[in-house]
Amino acid sequence: MGDSQYSFSLTTFSPSGKLVQIEHALMAVGSGQTSLGIKAANGVVIATEKKLPSVLVDETSVQKIQLMTTNIGVVYSGMGPDSRVLVRKSRKQAQQYYRLYKEPIPVTQLVRENAAVMQEFTQSGGVRPFGVSLLVAGYDDNGPQLYQVDPSGSYFSWKASAMGKNVSNAKTFLEKRYTDDMELEDAVHTAILTLKEGFEGQISGKNIEIGIIGADRKFRILTPAEIDDYLAEVE
Amino acid sequence: MARAAADLPPKGGFSFDLCRRNDMLLKKGVQPPSFRKTGTTIVGLVFQDGVILGADTRATEGPIVADKNCEKIHYMAPNIYCCGAGTAADTEAVTDMVSSQLQLHRYATGRESRIITALTLLKSHLFSHQGYVSAALVLGGVDVTGPHLHTVYPHGSTDTLPFATMGSGSLAAMAIFESKYREGLTRDDGIKLVCEAICSGIFNDLGSGSNVDVCVITKGHKEYLRNHLLPNPRTYISSKGYSFVKGHTEVLSTKITPLKEKVEVVEGDAMEE
Repeated sequence: MGDSQYSFSLTTFSPSGKLVQIEHALMAVGSGQTSLGIKAANGVVIATEKKLPSVLVDETSVQKIQLMTTNIGVVYSGMGPDSRVLVRKSRKQAQQYYRLYKEPIPVTQLVRENAAVMQEFTQSGGVRPFGVSLLVAGYDDNGPQLYQVDPSGSYFSWKASAMGKNVSNAKTFLEKRYTDDMELEDAVHTAILTLKEGFEGQISGKNIEIGIIGADRKFRILTPAEIDDYLAEVE
Repeated sequence: MARAAADLPPKGGFSFDLCRRNDMLLKKGVQPPSFRKTGTTIVGLVFQDGVILGADTRATEGPIVADKNCEKIHYMAPNIYCCGAGTAADTEAVTDMVSSQLQLHRYATGRESRIITALTLLKSHLFSHQGYVSAALVLGGVDVTGPHLHTVYPHGSTDTLPFATMGSGSLAAMAIFESKYREGLTRDDGIKLVCEAICSGIFNDLGSGSNVDVCVITKGHKEYLRNHLLPNPRTYISSKGYSFVKGHTEVLSTKITPLKEKVEVVEGDAMEE
Protein backbone atom coordinates (compact mmCIF):
# COMPACT_ATOMS: atom_id res chain seq x y z
CA MET A 1 0.00 0.00 0.00
CA GLY A 2 1.53 3.29 -1.12
CA ASP A 3 -0.13 5.02 1.80
CA SER A 4 1.96 3.18 4.37
CA GLN A 5 4.90 5.52 3.82
CA TYR A 6 2.70 8.37 5.07
CA SER A 7 1.07 6.60 7.93
CA PHE A 8 3.54 7.39 10.69
CA SER A 9 2.95 11.14 10.90
CA LEU A 10 -0.45 12.46 11.86
CA THR A 11 0.05 15.81 10.24
CA THR A 12 1.02 14.58 6.79
CA PHE A 13 -1.51 13.89 4.05
CA SER A 14 -1.10 10.72 2.00
CA PRO A 15 -1.04 11.07 -1.83
CA SER A 16 -4.64 9.85 -1.97
CA GLY A 17 -5.68 12.77 0.23
CA LYS A 18 -6.30 10.86 3.44
CA LEU A 19 -4.89 11.29 6.90
CA VAL A 20 -4.02 7.70 7.59
CA GLN A 21 -3.85 8.13 11.36
CA ILE A 22 -7.49 9.18 11.42
CA GLU A 23 -8.42 6.11 9.42
CA HIS A 24 -6.59 4.03 12.00
CA ALA A 25 -8.39 5.84 14.80
CA LEU A 26 -11.69 4.88 13.16
CA MET A 27 -10.48 1.26 13.16
CA ALA A 28 -9.92 1.57 16.91
CA VAL A 29 -13.52 2.72 17.20
CA GLY A 30 -14.72 -0.08 14.96
CA SER A 31 -13.17 -2.70 17.20
CA GLY A 32 -14.73 -1.22 20.35
CA GLN A 33 -17.88 -2.52 22.01
CA THR A 34 -21.15 -1.82 20.22
CA SER A 35 -23.11 1.22 21.24
CA LEU A 36 -26.19 2.79 19.69
CA GLY A 37 -28.64 5.63 20.00
CA ILE A 38 -32.24 6.19 18.90
CA LYS A 39 -34.11 9.49 18.76
CA ALA A 40 -37.79 9.10 19.57
CA ALA A 41 -40.54 11.67 19.17
CA ASN A 42 -40.45 12.58 22.87
CA GLY A 43 -36.91 11.69 23.93
CA VAL A 44 -33.63 9.94 23.14
CA VAL A 45 -32.17 6.62 24.28
CA ILE A 46 -28.51 5.56 24.15
CA ALA A 47 -27.23 2.12 25.02
CA THR A 48 -24.03 0.10 25.03
CA GLU A 49 -22.64 -3.32 25.76
CA LYS A 50 -20.72 -3.52 28.97
CA LYS A 51 -18.50 -6.57 28.45
CA LEU A 52 -15.94 -6.70 31.23
CA PRO A 53 -12.58 -8.40 30.71
CA SER A 54 -13.13 -10.86 33.53
CA VAL A 55 -15.91 -12.12 35.77
CA LEU A 56 -13.90 -10.86 38.74
CA VAL A 57 -14.37 -7.17 37.79
CA ASP A 58 -16.87 -5.32 40.00
CA GLU A 59 -19.38 -4.24 37.34
CA THR A 60 -20.96 -1.59 39.63
CA SER A 61 -17.73 0.41 39.44
CA VAL A 62 -17.80 0.66 35.63
CA GLN A 63 -19.99 3.32 34.07
CA LYS A 64 -19.72 3.86 30.33
CA ILE A 65 -22.64 6.26 29.91
CA GLN A 66 -21.86 9.65 31.44
CA LEU A 67 -23.66 12.94 32.04
CA MET A 68 -22.23 16.05 30.41
CA THR A 69 -24.94 18.35 31.76
CA THR A 70 -28.25 17.60 33.48
CA ASN A 71 -29.93 17.34 30.06
CA ILE A 72 -27.14 15.91 27.89
CA GLY A 73 -25.64 12.41 28.14
CA VAL A 74 -22.97 10.59 26.16
CA VAL A 75 -21.87 7.06 25.30
CA TYR A 76 -18.73 6.00 23.42
CA SER A 77 -17.22 3.22 21.37
CA GLY A 78 -13.47 2.78 21.46
CA MET A 79 -10.91 3.68 24.10
CA GLY A 80 -12.52 4.43 27.46
CA PRO A 81 -9.76 6.66 28.85
CA ASP A 82 -9.94 8.91 25.76
CA SER A 83 -13.67 9.39 26.30
CA ARG A 84 -13.04 10.34 29.95
CA VAL A 85 -10.83 13.25 28.87
CA LEU A 86 -13.46 14.46 26.39
CA VAL A 87 -16.30 14.21 28.90
CA ARG A 88 -14.33 16.13 31.49
CA LYS A 89 -13.53 18.88 29.01
CA SER A 90 -17.16 19.08 27.83
CA ARG A 91 -18.46 19.40 31.39
CA LYS A 92 -16.12 22.31 31.97
CA GLN A 93 -17.10 23.94 28.65
CA ALA A 94 -20.80 23.61 29.53
CA GLN A 95 -20.22 25.34 32.87
CA GLN A 96 -18.20 28.11 31.22
CA TYR A 97 -20.98 28.62 28.66
CA TYR A 98 -23.52 28.92 31.46
CA ARG A 99 -21.33 31.39 33.37
CA LEU A 100 -20.97 33.54 30.26
CA TYR A 101 -24.52 33.49 28.85
CA LYS A 102 -26.62 32.37 31.86
CA GLU A 103 -28.28 29.88 29.51
CA PRO A 104 -27.91 26.07 29.66
CA ILE A 105 -25.72 25.11 26.72
CA PRO A 106 -27.72 23.93 23.68
CA VAL A 107 -26.87 20.40 22.50
CA THR A 108 -25.51 21.59 19.13
CA GLN A 109 -23.11 24.01 20.83
CA LEU A 110 -21.72 21.36 23.14
CA VAL A 111 -21.28 18.93 20.26
CA ARG A 112 -19.51 21.61 18.26
CA GLU A 113 -17.10 22.38 21.10
CA ASN A 114 -16.41 18.67 21.53
CA ALA A 115 -15.77 18.25 17.82
CA ALA A 116 -13.43 21.26 17.87
CA VAL A 117 -11.34 19.60 20.59
CA MET A 118 -11.18 16.35 18.64
CA GLN A 119 -10.13 18.21 15.50
CA GLU A 120 -7.41 20.06 17.43
CA PHE A 121 -5.77 16.75 18.13
CA THR A 122 -5.62 15.93 14.42
CA GLN A 123 -3.68 19.05 13.57
CA SER A 124 -1.15 19.48 16.36
CA GLY A 125 2.36 18.23 16.93
CA GLY A 126 3.16 15.48 19.33
CA VAL A 127 -0.41 14.30 19.94
CA ARG A 128 -2.53 11.51 18.54
CA PRO A 129 -6.23 11.60 17.57
CA PHE A 130 -8.81 10.42 20.10
CA GLY A 131 -9.64 6.74 19.69
CA VAL A 132 -13.37 7.17 20.40
CA SER A 133 -16.56 8.06 18.61
CA LEU A 134 -19.18 9.65 20.84
CA LEU A 135 -22.96 9.47 20.69
CA VAL A 136 -24.36 12.58 22.37
CA ALA A 137 -28.03 12.51 23.40
CA GLY A 138 -29.77 15.62 24.67
CA TYR A 139 -33.08 17.42 25.03
CA ASP A 140 -33.23 21.20 24.84
CA ASP A 141 -35.48 23.91 23.38
CA ASN A 142 -35.01 22.36 19.93
CA GLY A 143 -36.41 19.06 21.15
CA PRO A 144 -34.68 15.65 21.40
CA GLN A 145 -31.37 15.39 19.55
CA LEU A 146 -28.81 12.67 18.82
CA TYR A 147 -25.32 13.46 17.48
CA GLN A 148 -22.33 11.31 16.58
CA VAL A 149 -18.82 12.80 16.83
CA ASP A 150 -15.91 11.05 15.11
CA PRO A 151 -12.15 11.12 15.83
CA SER A 152 -11.67 13.43 12.85
CA GLY A 153 -13.87 16.02 14.50
CA SER A 154 -16.81 15.70 12.13
CA TYR A 155 -20.24 15.41 13.66
CA PHE A 156 -23.59 14.26 12.33
CA SER A 157 -27.13 14.42 13.63
CA TRP A 158 -28.85 11.04 13.48
CA LYS A 159 -32.34 9.67 13.94
CA ALA A 160 -30.74 6.38 14.93
CA SER A 161 -27.14 5.24 14.78
CA ALA A 162 -24.75 2.55 15.93
CA MET A 163 -20.97 2.31 16.30
CA GLY A 164 -18.41 -0.30 17.25
CA LYS A 165 -18.04 -3.98 16.46
CA ASN A 166 -21.44 -4.86 15.11
CA VAL A 167 -22.12 -1.59 13.34
CA SER A 168 -23.35 -2.82 9.94
CA ASN A 169 -25.79 -5.39 11.35
CA ALA A 170 -27.00 -2.97 13.97
CA LYS A 171 -27.56 -0.18 11.44
CA THR A 172 -29.48 -2.51 9.10
CA PHE A 173 -31.65 -3.60 12.02
CA LEU A 174 -32.29 0.01 13.04
CA GLU A 175 -33.15 1.05 9.47
CA LYS A 176 -35.84 -1.60 9.37
CA ARG A 177 -37.26 -0.86 12.80
CA TYR A 178 -37.09 2.92 13.00
CA THR A 179 -40.26 4.99 12.63
CA ASP A 180 -40.49 8.76 12.95
CA ASP A 181 -43.30 8.70 15.49
CA MET A 182 -41.67 6.22 17.87
CA GLU A 183 -42.24 6.86 21.57
CA LEU A 184 -39.41 6.70 24.11
CA GLU A 185 -40.59 3.35 25.51
CA ASP A 186 -40.63 1.78 22.02
CA ALA A 187 -37.19 3.23 21.37
CA VAL A 188 -35.82 1.56 24.51
CA HIS A 189 -37.24 -1.81 23.40
CA THR A 190 -35.80 -1.37 19.92
CA ALA A 191 -32.41 -0.46 21.40
CA ILE A 192 -32.41 -3.62 23.51
CA LEU A 193 -33.38 -5.78 20.55
CA THR A 194 -30.64 -4.22 18.44
CA LEU A 195 -28.05 -4.94 21.12
CA LYS A 196 -29.35 -8.47 21.47
CA GLU A 197 -28.77 -9.11 17.75
CA GLY A 198 -24.99 -9.22 18.01
CA PHE A 199 -24.70 -10.12 21.69
CA GLU A 200 -22.46 -13.02 22.65
CA GLY A 201 -23.74 -14.73 25.72
CA GLN A 202 -26.69 -14.03 27.99
CA ILE A 203 -27.92 -10.42 27.95
CA SER A 204 -28.88 -8.98 31.35
CA GLY A 205 -29.05 -5.74 33.31
CA LYS A 206 -25.46 -6.27 34.39
CA ASN A 207 -23.80 -6.37 30.98
CA ILE A 208 -25.58 -3.56 29.14
CA GLU A 209 -26.05 0.09 30.02
CA ILE A 210 -28.97 2.30 28.94
CA GLY A 211 -29.42 6.03 29.33
CA ILE A 212 -32.62 7.91 28.51
CA ILE A 213 -33.80 11.48 28.39
CA GLY A 214 -37.44 12.48 28.04
CA ALA A 215 -39.48 15.67 27.94
CA ASP A 216 -38.56 16.28 31.59
CA ARG A 217 -35.05 17.12 30.25
CA LYS A 218 -33.28 15.08 32.90
CA PHE A 219 -30.79 12.57 31.57
CA ARG A 220 -31.01 9.36 33.55
CA ILE A 221 -28.98 6.16 33.55
CA LEU A 222 -31.21 3.14 34.14
CA THR A 223 -30.43 0.87 37.07
CA PRO A 224 -29.69 -2.82 36.35
CA ALA A 225 -33.07 -3.67 37.91
CA GLU A 226 -34.92 -1.35 35.51
CA ILE A 227 -33.00 -2.83 32.55
CA ASP A 228 -34.01 -6.32 33.66
CA ASP A 229 -37.65 -5.17 33.68
CA TYR A 230 -37.34 -3.89 30.11
CA LEU A 231 -35.64 -7.16 29.08
CA ALA A 232 -38.52 -9.12 30.54
CA GLU A 233 -40.98 -6.98 28.54
CA VAL A 234 -39.02 -7.62 25.37
CA GLU A 235 -39.07 -11.41 25.80
CA MET B 1 -1.85 22.41 21.57
CA ALA B 2 -1.38 19.39 23.81
CA ARG B 3 -1.98 21.65 26.80
CA ALA B 4 -5.64 21.58 25.93
CA ALA B 5 -5.94 18.07 27.32
CA ALA B 6 -4.47 18.82 30.77
CA ASP B 7 -6.18 21.33 33.04
CA LEU B 8 -3.11 23.28 34.21
CA PRO B 9 -3.37 25.35 37.42
CA PRO B 10 -3.19 29.14 36.81
CA LYS B 11 0.38 30.49 36.69
CA GLY B 12 1.26 32.85 39.53
CA GLY B 13 -1.14 34.45 42.00
CA PHE B 14 -3.35 37.49 41.90
CA SER B 15 -1.51 40.65 40.82
CA PHE B 16 -1.87 43.35 43.47
CA ASP B 17 -0.28 46.16 41.42
CA LEU B 18 -3.56 47.96 40.86
CA CYS B 19 -4.40 47.75 44.57
CA ARG B 20 -1.14 49.60 45.33
CA ARG B 21 -2.08 52.22 42.75
CA ASN B 22 -5.53 52.65 44.30
CA ASP B 23 -4.08 53.11 47.78
CA MET B 24 -1.65 55.70 46.47
CA LEU B 25 -4.45 57.59 44.70
CA LEU B 26 -6.52 57.56 47.88
CA LYS B 27 -3.62 59.11 49.82
CA LYS B 28 -3.46 61.85 47.19
CA GLY B 29 -7.15 62.56 47.73
CA VAL B 30 -8.66 60.97 44.58
CA GLN B 31 -12.00 59.40 45.46
CA PRO B 32 -12.57 55.91 44.03
CA PRO B 33 -15.84 55.41 42.10
CA SER B 34 -18.63 54.28 44.38
CA PHE B 35 -19.96 50.77 43.84
CA ARG B 36 -23.18 49.10 44.78
CA LYS B 37 -22.98 47.60 48.25
CA THR B 38 -25.68 45.39 49.61
CA GLY B 39 -25.74 47.15 53.03
CA THR B 40 -27.75 44.26 54.29
CA THR B 41 -29.04 42.15 57.05
CA ILE B 42 -28.46 38.45 56.41
CA VAL B 43 -29.11 35.69 58.94
CA GLY B 44 -29.13 31.93 59.26
CA LEU B 45 -30.13 29.46 61.93
CA VAL B 46 -30.20 25.72 62.45
CA PHE B 47 -33.57 24.26 63.41
CA GLN B 48 -34.63 20.71 64.20
CA ASP B 49 -34.97 19.50 60.57
CA GLY B 50 -32.33 21.64 58.86
CA VAL B 51 -31.31 25.23 58.16
CA ILE B 52 -33.23 28.47 57.57
CA LEU B 53 -31.60 31.43 55.81
CA GLY B 54 -33.01 34.95 55.69
CA ALA B 55 -32.12 38.23 54.01
CA ASP B 56 -33.48 41.72 53.38
CA THR B 57 -33.81 43.03 49.81
CA ARG B 58 -32.25 46.51 49.72
CA ALA B 59 -29.14 47.24 47.64
CA THR B 60 -27.46 50.62 48.28
CA GLU B 61 -25.08 52.84 46.31
CA GLY B 62 -23.77 55.18 48.99
CA PRO B 63 -26.87 56.99 50.33
CA ILE B 64 -29.13 55.93 47.44
CA VAL B 65 -31.22 52.77 47.30
CA ALA B 66 -30.14 51.17 44.01
CA ASP B 67 -32.46 48.15 44.11
CA LYS B 68 -35.55 47.90 46.32
CA ASN B 69 -36.06 44.20 45.75
CA CYS B 70 -32.79 42.46 45.01
CA GLU B 71 -32.10 38.76 45.67
CA LYS B 72 -29.43 38.17 48.28
CA ILE B 73 -29.95 34.45 48.80
CA HIS B 74 -27.88 32.76 46.10
CA TYR B 75 -28.13 29.19 44.81
CA MET B 76 -25.00 27.11 45.28
CA ALA B 77 -26.26 23.54 44.95
CA PRO B 78 -29.69 21.86 45.20
CA ASN B 79 -29.04 21.44 48.94
CA ILE B 80 -26.90 24.53 49.62
CA TYR B 81 -27.79 28.22 49.58
CA CYS B 82 -25.67 31.26 50.42
CA CYS B 83 -26.64 34.76 51.60
CA GLY B 84 -24.26 37.53 50.54
CA ALA B 85 -23.38 40.90 52.09
CA GLY B 86 -20.80 43.44 50.95
CA THR B 87 -20.22 44.44 47.34
CA ALA B 88 -23.08 43.02 45.25
CA ALA B 89 -20.87 42.21 42.25
CA ASP B 90 -18.39 40.34 44.43
CA THR B 91 -21.01 38.21 46.18
CA GLU B 92 -22.72 37.37 42.86
CA ALA B 93 -19.49 36.51 41.07
CA VAL B 94 -18.00 34.43 43.87
CA THR B 95 -21.19 32.44 44.51
CA ASP B 96 -21.69 31.82 40.75
CA MET B 97 -18.12 30.60 40.41
CA VAL B 98 -18.27 28.24 43.37
CA SER B 99 -21.71 26.98 42.28
CA SER B 100 -20.19 26.08 38.89
CA GLN B 101 -17.24 24.32 40.55
CA LEU B 102 -19.61 22.36 42.80
CA GLN B 103 -21.58 21.20 39.74
CA LEU B 104 -18.40 19.91 38.07
CA HIS B 105 -17.48 18.16 41.31
CA ARG B 106 -20.93 16.53 41.41
CA TYR B 107 -20.50 15.18 37.89
CA ALA B 108 -17.10 13.76 38.76
CA THR B 109 -18.13 12.14 42.07
CA GLY B 110 -21.79 11.29 41.38
CA ARG B 111 -22.65 12.47 44.90
CA GLU B 112 -24.56 15.32 46.55
CA SER B 113 -22.35 18.33 47.37
CA ARG B 114 -21.30 18.92 50.97
CA ILE B 115 -21.48 22.32 52.65
CA ILE B 116 -17.88 21.98 53.84
CA THR B 117 -16.81 21.67 50.18
CA ALA B 118 -18.55 24.92 49.26
CA LEU B 119 -17.06 26.53 52.37
CA THR B 120 -13.50 25.52 51.51
CA LEU B 121 -13.82 26.63 47.87
CA LEU B 122 -15.15 30.02 49.01
CA LYS B 123 -12.56 30.63 51.72
CA SER B 124 -9.62 29.63 49.52
CA HIS B 125 -10.74 32.05 46.83
CA LEU B 126 -11.36 34.91 49.26
CA PHE B 127 -8.05 34.36 51.07
CA SER B 128 -6.07 34.32 47.85
CA HIS B 129 -7.52 37.76 47.06
CA GLN B 130 -6.42 39.07 50.47
CA GLY B 131 -9.76 40.66 51.35
CA TYR B 132 -10.08 42.69 48.16
CA VAL B 133 -13.10 40.59 47.16
CA SER B 134 -15.56 42.22 49.51
CA ALA B 135 -17.95 39.32 50.09
CA ALA B 136 -19.26 38.43 53.55
CA LEU B 137 -21.39 35.30 53.31
CA VAL B 138 -23.73 33.17 55.38
CA LEU B 139 -23.59 29.65 53.93
CA GLY B 140 -26.08 27.00 54.95
CA GLY B 141 -27.47 23.66 53.82
CA VAL B 142 -28.12 20.02 54.61
CA ASP B 143 -25.98 17.14 53.36
CA VAL B 144 -25.28 13.51 54.31
CA THR B 145 -23.47 14.61 57.47
CA GLY B 146 -26.41 16.74 58.62
CA PRO B 147 -27.39 20.44 58.68
CA HIS B 148 -24.56 23.00 58.64
CA LEU B 149 -24.35 26.79 58.97
CA HIS B 150 -21.17 28.81 58.38
CA THR B 151 -20.15 32.45 58.04
CA VAL B 152 -17.34 33.54 55.69
CA TYR B 153 -15.52 36.86 56.06
CA PRO B 154 -13.92 38.80 53.15
CA HIS B 155 -10.40 37.91 54.27
CA GLY B 156 -11.17 34.22 54.20
CA SER B 157 -11.84 33.26 57.81
CA THR B 158 -14.90 31.18 58.64
CA ASP B 159 -17.05 30.35 61.65
CA THR B 160 -19.39 27.43 62.25
CA LEU B 161 -22.40 28.43 64.30
CA PRO B 162 -25.94 27.38 65.24
CA PHE B 163 -27.18 30.92 64.42
CA ALA B 164 -25.39 33.72 62.56
CA THR B 165 -25.89 37.23 61.23
CA MET B 166 -23.82 39.36 58.82
CA GLY B 167 -23.99 42.77 57.18
CA SER B 168 -24.62 46.29 58.46
CA GLY B 169 -27.80 45.15 60.21
CA SER B 170 -26.10 42.20 61.89
CA LEU B 171 -26.12 43.73 65.37
CA ALA B 172 -29.84 44.48 65.21
CA ALA B 173 -30.55 40.93 64.02
CA MET B 174 -28.15 39.30 66.49
CA ALA B 175 -29.92 41.06 69.37
CA ILE B 176 -33.12 39.21 68.39
CA PHE B 177 -31.33 35.86 67.97
CA GLU B 178 -29.45 36.10 71.24
CA SER B 179 -32.62 36.68 73.22
CA LYS B 180 -34.97 34.26 71.43
CA TYR B 181 -32.93 31.41 69.86
CA ARG B 182 -33.25 27.90 71.31
CA GLU B 183 -32.06 24.55 69.97
CA GLY B 184 -34.60 22.31 68.27
CA LEU B 185 -36.94 25.02 66.92
CA THR B 186 -39.81 23.88 64.71
CA ARG B 187 -40.08 25.06 61.11
CA ASP B 188 -42.73 27.71 61.78
CA ASP B 189 -41.00 29.01 64.90
CA GLY B 190 -37.72 29.15 63.00
CA ILE B 191 -39.23 31.10 60.10
CA LYS B 192 -40.89 33.50 62.54
CA LEU B 193 -37.61 34.11 64.37
CA VAL B 194 -35.71 34.68 61.12
CA CYS B 195 -38.34 37.15 59.93
CA GLU B 196 -38.20 38.99 63.27
CA ALA B 197 -34.42 39.26 63.03
CA ILE B 198 -34.51 40.54 59.44
CA CYS B 199 -37.29 43.01 60.28
CA SER B 200 -35.18 44.26 63.17
CA GLY B 201 -32.42 44.95 60.64
CA ILE B 202 -34.85 46.49 58.12
CA PHE B 203 -36.32 48.96 60.60
CA ASN B 204 -33.22 49.82 62.64
CA ASP B 205 -30.46 49.88 60.00
CA LEU B 206 -30.34 52.34 57.09
CA GLY B 207 -28.42 49.92 54.89
CA SER B 208 -31.22 47.33 55.04
CA GLY B 209 -34.83 47.65 54.01
CA SER B 210 -37.79 46.58 51.87
CA ASN B 211 -38.80 42.92 52.01
CA VAL B 212 -37.80 39.68 53.71
CA ASP B 213 -36.58 36.63 51.73
CA VAL B 214 -36.47 33.26 53.48
CA CYS B 215 -34.99 29.94 52.39
CA VAL B 216 -35.74 26.69 54.27
CA ILE B 217 -33.43 23.73 53.57
CA THR B 218 -34.15 20.26 54.96
CA LYS B 219 -32.91 16.80 54.01
CA GLY B 220 -33.76 16.24 50.38
CA HIS B 221 -36.00 19.31 50.11
CA LYS B 222 -35.69 23.08 49.87
CA GLU B 223 -38.15 25.98 49.85
CA TYR B 224 -37.13 29.37 48.53
CA LEU B 225 -39.73 31.83 49.89
CA ARG B 226 -39.02 34.93 47.86
CA ASN B 227 -40.60 38.03 49.46
CA HIS B 228 -42.02 35.98 52.30
CA LEU B 229 -42.84 39.21 54.16
CA LEU B 230 -43.56 42.63 52.66
CA PRO B 231 -43.47 45.00 55.61
CA ASN B 232 -42.82 48.10 53.46
CA PRO B 233 -45.61 48.44 50.90
CA ARG B 234 -45.99 51.66 48.89
CA THR B 235 -49.21 53.08 50.26
CA TYR B 236 -49.68 56.40 48.50
CA ILE B 237 -50.12 55.45 44.84
CA SER B 238 -53.09 57.14 43.21
CA SER B 239 -54.86 54.61 41.01
CA LYS B 240 -56.39 57.36 38.84
CA GLY B 241 -52.97 58.68 37.91
CA TYR B 242 -52.10 62.36 37.70
CA SER B 243 -53.30 64.87 35.11
CA PHE B 244 -51.77 68.27 34.68
CA VAL B 245 -54.04 70.66 32.72
CA LYS B 246 -52.75 73.70 30.81
CA GLY B 247 -52.12 76.64 33.12
CA HIS B 248 -50.46 74.54 35.89
CA THR B 249 -47.02 75.57 34.64
CA GLU B 250 -46.10 79.28 34.27
CA VAL B 251 -44.85 80.17 30.75
CA LEU B 252 -41.81 82.41 30.95
CA SER B 253 -41.07 82.96 27.23
CA THR B 254 -42.20 81.67 23.83
CA LYS B 255 -40.14 81.24 20.65
CA ILE B 256 -41.57 79.74 17.46
CA THR B 257 -39.27 78.57 14.65
CA PRO B 258 -41.12 77.54 11.46
CA LEU B 259 -39.71 74.51 9.63
CA LYS B 260 -38.15 75.50 6.29
CA GLU B 261 -38.97 73.39 3.28
CA LYS B 262 -35.66 71.87 2.17
CA VAL B 263 -36.94 69.15 -0.14
CA GLU B 264 -39.01 69.98 -3.22
CA VAL B 265 -41.19 67.18 -4.50
CA VAL B 266 -41.60 67.44 -8.31
CA GLU B 267 -44.22 65.27 -9.98
CA GLY B 268 -42.50 63.92 -13.05
CA ASP B 269 -43.59 61.91 -16.08
CA ALA B 270 -43.83 58.16 -15.87
CA MET B 271 -40.63 56.35 -16.88
CA GLU B 272 -40.31 55.20 -20.48
CA GLU B 273 -40.72 51.43 -20.73
